[in-house]
Amino acid sequence: MANLLSSGLEKVSHNKRYIFWFWLLNLTLAEFGTAAFRRSAHAILDRSLYAERLVKGFDLGVLRELLAKPEFGTLNSMTYPSLYFGFVFFLATALFLPGIFTGYASTYRLPREEFFRACGCNLWRFIRIMIIAGIIMGIIAGLLFWANSAIATKADQSTNEKLSFELEMAGLAVIFLVMTMLRIWFDLAEVDTVLNNQRAVRKSIASAFRHTFRSLARLLTSYVVVTMLAAIVLLVGLWLWMKLVAPENVVRAFAVGQITLFLLLIPRFWQRGVAVSYWQELMLAPFVPRSIVERSPTPVVVAPEPPAGDLPVAGTPPVEPQQL
Amino acid sequence: MNARWRITFVLALLSFCRIASTPRNIASAAAPSPAAAQPASASVEGQSLSIPSTTTAINSPSPLSQRVVHYDIDARYDARKHVVDATETLTYHNLTGQALDHFPFHLYQNAFQPNSTWVREAKTQGSRDTGYDKWDPKEYGSEEIKSLEVVGQGDLTRNLQYIAPDDGNKDDKTVIDLHLAKPVPAGAFVQFKIAFQTQFPETQARSGWKRDFVLGGQWFPKVGVWWQGAWNCHQYHATTEFFADFGVYDVKLTVPQYEVIGASGVQVSSVNNADGTQTVTYHGDDIHDFAWTVSPRYKVHESTYQSQMGPIQLRFLMQPAHWKHVERHERITRGTLDRFEKWYGPYPYKTLTVVDPEPDSAAGGMEYPTFITGDDSWLLPNGLYFIELVVEHEFGHQYWYGMVATNEFEDAWLDEGINSYTEVKVMDDILGKHTSILNMAGISFGEREEQQFSYVRVADRDPMAQKAYDYYSFNSYGGVTYGKTACVLLTLEGIIGEDTMARAMRAYFMKYRFTHPTKEDFLKTIEEVSGKDLRWYFNQAVYGSQVLDYEILNTTSYPVDWFKNQDKKTGKDGTLYQSFVSVHRKGDFVMPIEIEVKFNNGEKVREHWDGQSRWTRFGYQRKSKVMSAEIDPEHTIQLDRDNFNNSRLVEPNPKPTHKLSMYWLFVTQWISQAMAWWAV
Repeated sequence: MANLLSSGLEKVSHNKRYIFWFWLLNLTLAEFGTAAFRRSAHAILDRSLYAERLVKGFDLGVLRELLAKPEFGTLNSMTYPSLYFGFVFFLATALFLPGIFTGYASTYRLPREEFFRACGCNLWRFIRIMIIAGIIMGIIAGLLFWANSAIATKADQSTNEKLSFELEMAGLAVIFLVMTMLRIWFDLAEVDTVLNNQRAVRKSIASAFRHTFRSLARLLTSYVVVTMLAAIVLLVGLWLWMKLVAPENVVRAFAVGQITLFLLLIPRFWQRGVAVSYWQELMLAPFVPRSIVERSPTPVVVAPEPPAGDLPVAGTPPVEPQQL
Repeated sequence: MNARWRITFVLALLSFCRIASTPRNIASAAAPSPAAAQPASASVEGQSLSIPSTTTAINSPSPLSQRVVHYDIDARYDARKHVVDATETLTYHNLTGQALDHFPFHLYQNAFQPNSTWVREAKTQGSRDTGYDKWDPKEYGSEEIKSLEVVGQGDLTRNLQYIAPDDGNKDDKTVIDLHLAKPVPAGAFVQFKIAFQTQFPETQARSGWKRDFVLGGQWFPKVGVWWQGAWNCHQYHATTEFFADFGVYDVKLTVPQYEVIGASGVQVSSVNNADGTQTVTYHGDDIHDFAWTVSPRYKVHESTYQSQMGPIQLRFLMQPAHWKHVERHERITRGTLDRFEKWYGPYPYKTLTVVDPEPDSAAGGMEYPTFITGDDSWLLPNGLYFIELVVEHEFGHQYWYGMVATNEFEDAWLDEGINSYTEVKVMDDILGKHTSILNMAGISFGEREEQQFSYVRVADRDPMAQKAYDYYSFNSYGGVTYGKTACVLLTLEGIIGEDTMARAMRAYFMKYRFTHPTKEDFLKTIEEVSGKDLRWYFNQAVYGSQVLDYEILNTTSYPVDWFKNQDKKTGKDGTLYQSFVSVHRKGDFVMPIEIEVKFNNGEKVREHWDGQSRWTRFGYQRKSKVMSAEIDPEHTIQLDRDNFNNSRLVEPNPKPTHKLSMYWLFVTQWISQAMAWWAV
């Protein structure tokens, strides 16, 4: 596990620019998503002395009154743009992820055109994987949440007030673990599709499924550790925001918030780095059963030959000096 | 003359004497002197009837109220079926000044039936707890009179008839009327012996069972109130509460021995029975209702509070998981008691039971005489004051409902609204003006804002002076009855002064405790104490649904000699400016207001506008520009529906928007990241 984590982190640290670009994309899209909110708020707050109660401290009553004002618009009109742009960020992530996997697998700084070529080549494959992942994860998550809710409802009849809450929390922990397992499965499938240049995504999904459950403990532990770190980053970030930033200091609050969000991007990239490391370690060659391995000479691990015009993989020299 | 006629004649004579010596209108009568409260008695068929003049449950040597009823109830609770089987002996003293030939009784638990008025209204207008999207048999409740005998008149069960005085709903069984064979003369006593069975529903409207807990509220047949020359006995509605006469309660409750019990009044005795049950007897003086609760899991904390009239036993029945919050319950109870005694008048009862009800039950936040329920959750952090809010509010009802026993069916604002006002005052005093609900992590929220917000949503929907069951919806009832009343009285403080308002509130309490005052009693008390004619205000605020909304429409400043040196955008020192501030009355509520105009040299000017016209404009010519203008600079007009437009800065200050937008940006980014984390 430690090997996977360190190897994954190494890939992330060698490609820090991806995180920066994703943070910038995240910020830019969120700026668009919050534009309507900002415009409405300016119209009401900027010339009112009452709004000053939001600056020195944070009076929830003022916010509530603002949100209730018809001139401000409905809450939906504020939240939907944010969600739409959140969805755009998700699509952008899906679009650029193949390039990131390629970059992580490379031993050199990936040129920009190779990055985008990888993105373009794998776009349709990723969409297919996402649809399959969405269906499987949706069904399993739906069933798990339903079961969790049913257990909590049953426990609610108990005279132990905390039982329902504790069971629900335990259930959420189980759901988190199961969903993380599924995420590992489809992360490996995505990595395999990109790095193996696998057009038939079902083969990548099948292969990733076998590997996920073969190395479940190792992979799951790595993913969970990284997720825990993300949670710690978020909590520490919020704590620092509350403790170190004066309520009226908007600039400093913005800085702390954005640093936290930047740092929060790292764990997910780290998990992807772990997936790439695992793929390079164990999925690069066709799987050979142990019994055969013992009786045969160790196969030489060779990267698959890329088709003409397709992606280079680890060890291939850069084609262009222009870099992302 | 036979015996029956002789008795009638004697009773009529007694009642004549009584009428001559006591006020006819009990509604407007002040608290009786101890002499006036001396028990009368009469003999009916050899039985001597009277209302006891006991003082066991109060810190007073003599009765405090004009006691009309005496309930003597012997009840057995079946914890498995949630059923009470009981006998009730009700002695009624006819102080109406006229003979009564029929008596209406409330049977509140019949509200929880599919075709009742309560459920119909809850379905269409909403309710506090239940939406009734589908009917759950566990929600069924009933209250059935098995037999009713009137002493001296025999069994009159067959004379009982369900009536629906408010809406004519023939399926509603929450009021039953009894026609007597013989009228009860004025001044006479009558005694009813009732056998009844009550089936509690799973908690509805702060009554019923949840798991192994039960809150026994509105559980026995209760006689209506003769008020303003007629019986006042409304059906139970989704938005209404209760109304009853003062009297004495002696209640025997037989429950399983494993149960921990709490109830109104003082505990007189407790006996363990051979069948595994215990019989606990309670006595209450000068109260108008009786509630009880049992749960095998209550943890009990007791302490004593020294009130102005004597010691009060405080009893806290806590859920085990909330035991860590017992100190918070006690602290807010004591703090509230302190302030109510100091500001309004003494608490005369010897007990106060604070119940922390079963979690997720609809039993939280309810008031009964000397008995209240709070609302708690083991997850509640220290900076979130929901526990304090509910306990304070329900304790406040000991004054505004418990002692000043207004008609909750017809004038709900007199108890809920006045109580919301005093809640703001007490919570502000204890926890801070803008931090009395939430004060943690740099975020604050106050009780004033909560009351104003609940009113603003329904500002023009209904007037305060309206029967509780005639409101447009449950939200309108809540927003106007609680929120608007609090805002109206807080605004009134600004008109007559905070000290005068405090004196008026005390005068109102001291004058009308242990009576059933009307809205005019309250309003006239304020006028008397303040020495002001406030009809212009009450007509709009209490009897009307006008909305108060003033705004600063515009502020402008320009050099007087603007036509010279037109290229100059700002004048240097010594430039003379012409400035205007325009104020607009957006709403139809007319009220004089103060406006504060600030100039950029630090100068402040106060203006007064009577608000009669739709708008006004103030003009200034001075060597400084207007920086800002603000309506109601002391922030006393809590009724103003829009706080944002009450002020206007000439130069915009974008800081609040930047801060809010930055929070929203953070949330948006974080949600985007979370979505991308799991989905791809």
